[in-house]
Amino acid sequence: MPEMGKLRSQYGEGPLHLLAVIASFAIATYAFFEIAAGTAPINFAIWFVAAIVAHDMLAFPLYSVLGVIAGEAIGPRPAAPAGPTALNYVRVPALLSGFAFIVWFPLILGFGEDEFVESTGLDTDPYLGRWLLLSGVLFAVSAMAYAVRLRRERT
Amino acid sequence: MPELSKLFPGKPPPGPFQRDFWKSPLRGPWLNSFLGSALLPLILICALTGFLSHVAYYPELGDNSITGSGAIGFDLYFFDWPTTPAWLYAFTQGLRVISGVAAIPILLAKLWSAMPKLFEWPPARTPAHMLDRLSLALLVGGSLFVFFTGILNIQLWYPWGFSFVPAHYYGAFIFLAALVLHLVGKIPVARRAFREKGVVRPLRDDLAHTEPEAPQEHTTAPHAPASPTMSRRFLLGVIGAGSLGLGVMTAGQVVGGPFRKLALLSPRNRGFGDGPNEFMVNTTAAEAAINPATTTTDWRLRLDGAGTPVELSREELLAMDLYTESLPIACVEGWSTTQDWTGVRLRDLAALAGIEGSAEVLVQSLQESGTFNQATLASSQIDDERSLLALQVNGADLSIDHGFPARVIVPALPGVHCTKWVSSMTFTDA
Repeated sequence: MPEMGKLRSQYGEGPLHLLAVIASFAIATYAFFEIAAGTAPINFAIWFVAAIVAHDMLAFPLYSVLGVIAGEAIGPRPAAPAGPTALNYVRVPALLSGFAFIVWFPLILGFGEDEFVESTGLDTDPYLGRWLLLSGVLFAVSAMAYAVRLRRERT
Repeated sequence: MPELSKLFPGKPPPGPFQRDFWKSPLRGPWLNSFLGSALLPLILICALTGFLSHVAYYPELGDNSITGSGAIGFDLYFFDWPTTPAWLYAFTQGLRVISGVAAIPILLAKLWSAMPKLFEWPPARTPAHMLDRLSLALLVGGSLFVFFTGILNIQLWYPWGFSFVPAHYYGAFIFLAALVLHLVGKIPVARRAFREKGVVRPLRDDLAHTEPEAPQEHTTAPHAPASPTMSRRFLLGVIGAGSLGLGVMTAGQVVGGPFRKLALLSPRNRGFGDGPNEFMVNTTAAEAAINPATTTTDWRLRLDGAGTPVELSREELLAMDLYTESLPIACVEGWSTTQDWTGVRLRDLAALAGIEGSAEVLVQSLQESGTFNQATLASSQIDDERSLLALQVNGADLSIDHGFPARVIVPALPGVHCTKWVSSMTFTDA
């Protein structure tokens, strides 16, 4: 089948890939037309691209740099060669607290407070405190685990 | 090979485009495949329950469709949403929001794991590779867009200038279309990684035995790995714990009862107190701009059907046969609460309007504007004997925030279609 061979050499993949690409982009374009007909397509496009930029160009570099700073401050290696590093006792609660924040930051920071109060008759006041409490507990548990570990390694 | 690569300088720019830039010894095809395999079921649950939610609104009736104009007059609608079990919508919608929230840590881990791919050099090797990367922009943007618009929606924060439902709904089409293409390309990669390393075998390695995956062209395995500071099972354990924790904290507002307290950060983990009307509200009377004066003595329920319209005062409704049903009010935002509602059966009101047998009803509210100041109910929903025009809840009159003088409550119907402050019901033969 010389045609197929030509496709592979010119295009870089086989025919299944090309079919999947056409189907995928056709459906995506259809969906964009629906968005254009149903709401504001420019704002949609802006937020779509902003989501990529916010993650790839802001969030990822930010948490990577924080990770490097933490790594250099604490040091990568534990006292005992095979044990877990002290670093992870900071990373784990930070990561878990960060996950809760990334999901519930609008309530934690009181964004959309007016809409929230109007809709629900409740306010967003408790959420910052609750997140701080959750984070505090996570770090405290981690600190205790580290203290136990240190003690065990000394004896 | 068509040398698209020749369009770019052979030497990559400095920084992340250098393959030695990426140090983590944990990245590689196995980790990517494992995270993808963990994320996929959550995405599928979330997407399927999302499309079910669309069906639950009966988009083909009246003005029920809220996904936009339907530019080509096509609607993804596969069956008539049932009224049994009554908790069906609470279940599917709870599952949807729980799976969506629980997916976040895995999604972020997946993006971290795949990040070196963003800085591949050359940026395009072949036309196929270029299209793959374009599609990846739709995949990454689509996943972040769909998940985070959903997450902001359940917290009622709308910072964007588009209407949420069509953008979220059709944004999901873009995301899922890109996901299918991604799977076509990546399932063979995952199969190879699992065949070489085993699906779970790398999870057995502790820190001392954690080795980087072998560096190969076009993969995320590091060429200059640092020594590991955690094992893969530790990393995945933390991600899994995050996912589970967020899931449990979201489940509390679906399951309710004592579990609601677990939903520490979820928007619907508290009501107002212990009274009969003190459970959570989706739209207050203030937000709906209901003038309390219009809900009292002058209020009449207007029934249109066959023949002369009927007008009923609240006293007249209370004098009819009243029934009490324990039914959940289940919100599209993934929280629900079951209460005891007392009122008149919808089918009795249909009979009063002179409509026998199969009918539809357009329910309108005193609320003058807003998408959900009206809803059209299907004949199966009218016929269900548990479907009520509720006048009381938990033995007390409805509060104005819960829809006084009268509200609709139908088993398995999305909460926003259980119209509050009902002013008229127009029955038509279906």
